[in-house]
Amino acid sequence: MRSRAAPWSLLGLAVLLALPWLLPQLLPQGQAQFWTASILGRAIVFGIIAMSLTFLATYGGFVSLAQMMIAGIAGYTLAIFVEGAVPRVVGLLGYGAAIPLALLAATAMGILMGAISLRSRDIYLLMITLALGMGVFRFIETNIAWFNGYEGIRNVVGPSLFGLDFRNALVFYHAALGTAALLYFGILYLVKTPFGLVLQGIRDNPRRVAALGYAVGLHRIAAFGVAGFIAGCGGVLSTIYNIGISPGSIGLGATVNILIMSVIGGLGHPIGAFIGSLIFTVLDTFAATIYDRDRFNTLIGLAFLAIVLVSPDGAIGVGARLRRLLTAQPRPASRVCGEVRSRPPSTRTAKEEPP
Amino acid sequence: MTEPAIRLQAVSRRFGALQAVRDVTLDVMPGERRAVLGPNGAGKTTLFNTICGDYPPTGGSIALFGTDITGLRPHQRTRLGIGRTYQTSLLFNGLTVLENLFIAVRGLRPGRFSFLRPGRGDEGVARARELADRMRLSHLLAAEVLNLSHGQRRQLEVGMALAGDPRVLMLDEPAAGLSPGDRPELLRLLRELPRSLTLILIEHDMDIALSATDVVSVMKDGVVVVEAPADRIEDHPVVQSIYLGSGH
Ligand SMILES: Nc1ncnc2c1ncn2[C@@H]1O[C@H](COP(=O)(O)OP(=O)(O)OP(=O)(O)O)[C@@H](O)[C@H]1O
Ligand SMILES: [Mg+2]
Repeated sequence: MRSRAAPWSLLGLAVLLALPWLLPQLLPQGQAQFWTASILGRAIVFGIIAMSLTFLATYGGFVSLAQMMIAGIAGYTLAIFVEGAVPRVVGLLGYGAAIPLALLAATAMGILMGAISLRSRDIYLLMITLALGMGVFRFIETNIAWFNGYEGIRNVVGPSLFGLDFRNALVFYHAALGTAALLYFGILYLVKTPFGLVLQGIRDNPRRVAALGYAVGLHRIAAFGVAGFIAGCGGVLSTIYNIGISPGSIGLGATVNILIMSVIGGLGHPIGAFIGSLIFTVLDTFAATIYDRDRFNTLIGLAFLAIVLVSPDGAIGVGARLRRLLTAQPRPASRVCGEVRSRPPSTRTAKEEPP
Repeated sequence: MTEPAIRLQAVSRRFGALQAVRDVTLDVMPGERRAVLGPNGAGKTTLFNTICGDYPPTGGSIALFGTDITGLRPHQRTRLGIGRTYQTSLLFNGLTVLENLFIAVRGLRPGRFSFLRPGRGDEGVARARELADRMRLSHLLAAEVLNLSHGQRRQLEVGMALAGDPRVLMLDEPAAGLSPGDRPELLRLLRELPRSLTLILIEHDMDIALSATDVVSVMKDGVVVVEAPADRIEDHPVVQSIYLGSGH
């Protein structure tokens, strides 16, 4: 019960860590900085939030559209409690205390989402999590006392780490990358634990899992809690990145963006979230130069269509297909969402399950 | 007198207006090998479901070695010593052979809910490996179940049913869909089961059913119509009319 891909992941991580020093060798100084700060940094932050969705979808078969809202809960908790934020709501804690509190709030919100949506699946789960996300969004947007309404809360500048200031793009990039790596390897560890295996069992066959003596509901809620924690990490980072948070960043648009990132990256493996967020962020940044700003939606729509048509399992599926073409291996039965998970359980248990 | 391994008293199960199992009363003694035969829709699988708890009976009572289990949940019955396989495979397709067996083993032990990977000397993993060995799947431990052959999936099913060291093992059409080449292997696995194990077998393949069991119950329309020793069942007039007369 060990995973194999670790050497490649570590190599990729090393390259990413060194990237701020590698890029200036390839690009003019100004552009290299822009890539580190505005593209890679942002892609990693969104990738973390998208990974919380990917984690639930890949290993549990749950598509949750509440993850952006949960990230927002972490961001707002930070903004409300940390000192120096404007306007001051509570403003009593330093970052060392406010960030853990924010992660706790996001985890609790994740657990709550899991508990509320416990009995629903497939399209109903999607709708219920979307509705919950939008409900919280509306509440935040109209509540002045705690959330300062549609203006949101500004001046969340971030801590300084061992004398290094988060406002320094290099520091932020490495903090985000470190967080992403910890969460990513954490997921790879988790999916081989009894919790992770049972979660995948629930994806493949919930009735059998229950018959084997496991509490399906408990595992489901715990998975949403884990995903909430991951989304919370992304929410804290994005709030610091944006020096604040406003309801616009957790609205329907933002929610759909997270979904698009997960799907174009691929829902077969957590790395897909980062590939998807990178593609998304690059398109988002350069849409203006390639075309014009307003055409971003057209562009991302086309990219989405192209990837989904060519490879239903997203960009990571394209990679796997290319690799097989080059090495001329036969196509193994894919474990990616399309084939294993989305098959309705009724076809597998036709005889034993009541209609 | 020894307690029967399984004692059914007037067990019934309805699905709405449909009476799938009707007043079935039968005893299976410890160590006995029992076949349940009958045409499609006779209620054989439903009878299994009432015994293992997936669909508890709507009437009557069920006892396991003298203990009443009528109201227990499926996993509680598993822990008391009932193991079963399903007619349509209910494996975890995205997991490996070892992981499937490990989940089945771990579900019966304390510490089921855990965020820690099993360590090197983990008992559950050792037990899962041992089961794979018994089912002749050791060379496929890391194979995803999705990529197994039909026969291998059937073997894995039996392995998972054995995870809890059951005292009563119930197999629902283990030979269904097996190629002729895979059948002797299955028969050998069945014969290798420890003699102390009580075995109940639903099987359409008469050869397998009769050579693996001692006593046969024949069901039709939810009722057990005949109970007879395996070597005398083929000549029984009721069986002949069901299996030959109805053109099954
Ligand atoms: N969950 C269910 N809900 C409703 N009806 C059911 C259910 N399970 C079984 N039945 C019905 O009960 C009757 C007996 O079915 P059962 O599956 O027990 O038969 P069987 O003897 O196992 O047949 P086969 O040889 O085809 O497996 C059938 O008419 C079936 O349609
Ligand atoms: Mg049946």
